[in-house]
Amino acid sequence: MIKLENVTKSYSTEVTALQDATFDIAKAEFVFLVGPSGSGKSTLLRLMNRQEKPEKGMVWVAGRNINDMPDSKVPHLRRNIGNIFQDYKLLANKTVFENVAFALEVIGRPKHVIRQQVPAVLDLVGLNGKQERFPHQLSGGEQQRVSIARAFVNRPLILLADEPTGNLDPSTGEGIMRLLDRINKTGTTVVMATHDQRIVNMMRKRVIQLDRGIIVRDQARGVYE
Amino acid sequence: MFSRLSYTVREMWASLRRNFTLTAAAIITAAVSLFILGLTLMVLRGFDNQLSQWSGGVEIIVYVENDATPEQLDVIRTAIESTPAVIDISRLEYLDAEQSMEEARRLFAGDPETLGLLSVDNIPTQFKLVPQADVSSELLQQVTSSYKAELPKVFRVASPSKQIEVLDTLRGVVSFVLYLVTLVLLFSAVLLIWNTIRTAMFARRREIEVMKLVGATNWFIRVPFMLEGLIQGLVGALFASGGVLTANWYWTRTVESFPPDSGFGAFVVTGNYPQWVVLWLMVLGMLVGAIGSGTAASKFLDV
Repeated sequence: MIKLENVTKSYSTEVTALQDATFDIAKAEFVFLVGPSGSGKSTLLRLMNRQEKPEKGMVWVAGRNINDMPDSKVPHLRRNIGNIFQDYKLLANKTVFENVAFALEVIGRPKHVIRQQVPAVLDLVGLNGKQERFPHQLSGGEQQRVSIARAFVNRPLILLADEPTGNLDPSTGEGIMRLLDRINKTGTTVVMATHDQRIVNMMRKRVIQLDRGIIVRDQARGVYE
Repeated sequence: MFSRLSYTVREMWASLRRNFTLTAAAIITAAVSLFILGLTLMVLRGFDNQLSQWSGGVEIIVYVENDATPEQLDVIRTAIESTPAVIDISRLEYLDAEQSMEEARRLFAGDPETLGLLSVDNIPTQFKLVPQADVSSELLQQVTSSYKAELPKVFRVASPSKQIEVLDTLRGVVSFVLYLVTLVLLFSAVLLIWNTIRTAMFARRREIEVMKLVGATNWFIRVPFMLEGLIQGLVGALFASGGVLTANWYWTRTVESFPPDSGFGAFVVTGNYPQWVVLWLMVLGMLVGAIGSGTAASKFLDV
């Protein structure tokens, strides 16, 4: 599903964010990217949805080399990739329903599809009955569930999560991980950057560890270390 | 398709309301600049009406009585054409009663009393003469005064008065100053619309970021902002058009109340011209809006 071949990315001549990264992520796999701040986890995620382009190497997503993809095709690539963030990136002036519907509306989905898919995905993430609330009326965990619903409402092939439990207490974080696990079991590939040692150790999924832009470990059913 | 359209209109309207003060400033600047442009076009049209009988280098007009026969007209034409060293024969023009009446309608547009006295049955016809470039004024004077004395049915030979020459110079100055002011104001309208759109995009940077991440195309994101600028330009043009038409109505009414020989009669703009000016203002208003918003929407999409 995702393949990187000798990918190098630097933001200046002195800072190399990623160096010669090579790995392959299969369809429906769940992968943790771990490592200290500045190790290149977020850069990896940004390369996967073409927010960044590498200096060297190739990035393949769903069978396509996305480095050579024309800019006009990037929106279509991103419709197959859901994004989840530590700070949720919800729109404060929109309700839960509107926040999720927004992701379908801006890619031109008709109203009847939106009316059908949004309640279904809100049910999946456990937010049934909270459709009309605004983000400030929700807890952190609930806000992250809205963010997951928005990322998943279009049934993407891949979910990219950047520290999704970073702002949550341990038990709420565990709830979010159970939700991501359920989504993963529907066949969606999940790639999650995290610092959360407890969660990585609890899930026992594949772990790719980075240190100063270099992949130092790639282990199936790994732990944080 | 319908959902995209409804999204675009809804977002555009929300953004216009959110940035009310900047939007109002952009509309007012666009309106003032387009109003001045509209006035410029109308004033210049007034000058052109006044100067119309002397356009194209015409320096002498031979007025012929309305009842001159074709034979008498031939005599006059032959006499004029017999002095090719003095008059440029290739540019000799004859205005019959219909054409002279047409010209009179422009010249006396604001003087209905005088215009009412004229008709195709009594208006003098005219030969319009362009002198050769190198002819001396003494020779020209000598030849043209012979027309009045020797030719049948010629009742007046006119040459432009000093007043006309002053008007011509004044037209140049007025057009230069007003076009310059218009250009500066239009440029500031473009900048203000540009800034309004930039502010609107900055206010919605999180929304734009989310849109890009979920796969909205750049055009989908841009269009509501571009439409917002277009509407600002168009509303500015509507106000300007209203102003120009009101000013023209007031000016026409004022000139019509002047005495018949006030000399301002030709400065009234009638016919389809005001509608053309309004159409131009609308097109230009939308263009100003589109340029301002289009460049901003492209430049600041990566917020």
